[in-house]
Amino acid sequence: MTEVVVWILVVLGTVVQVLSVLGLLLARDPYDRLHFTGPASTIAPVAFALAVIVDEGPVTQAAVKSVLTALALVVLNGVLVHATARAARIREHGSWGLLPEERAGVD
Amino acid sequence: MCAAVLLASLAPLIVLCARAPVMDGLVALNLAGTIVTLVLLLLAQGTHRQPFFDLAVVSAVLSFAGGLAFARFLERWV
Repeated sequence: MTEVVVWILVVLGTVVQVLSVLGLLLARDPYDRLHFTGPASTIAPVAFALAVIVDEGPVTQAAVKSVLTALALVVLNGVLVHATARAARIREHGSWGLLPEERAGVD
Repeated sequence: MCAAVLLASLAPLIVLCARAPVMDGLVALNLAGTIVTLVLLLLAQGTHRQPFFDLAVVSAVLSFAGGLAFARFLERWV
């Protein structure tokens, strides 16, 4: 039973990663592509960490390190996505702030 | 087997990094860092070697730092 659960979690994480890569390849611009790093950095690491926990037990060195890895990916990915989107926008428009036409829509 | 599938999925990302515009390449690099980290995690568990888990932890943090540095420099200077 434990092996089945582990396999389901590992296959789930792998399928999510492969679908994320496919989505990233098919998207048109960097902003669209950034969306596909989300599932790859949240669902897959959590699934793999859960698989290690189920396989090894919750208070083993492997489980703690895999949870730490998943936590790092989940937390830091949001920061990285924001930094990348910010860089893309500054590169495209020259500044991070609202453009005049965007400001007109807000006001 | 799943680690091999994930490793294979790195190939299109490498092609994207080489061929696509620079910001698209940066997004592909970010995802590649995540995939490499997870491959290390799977290999550590598959081979039952504890030190490999440390590599996964370090890879998670360093791929973030690398992506952040690239994003910062690609904003204006590169």
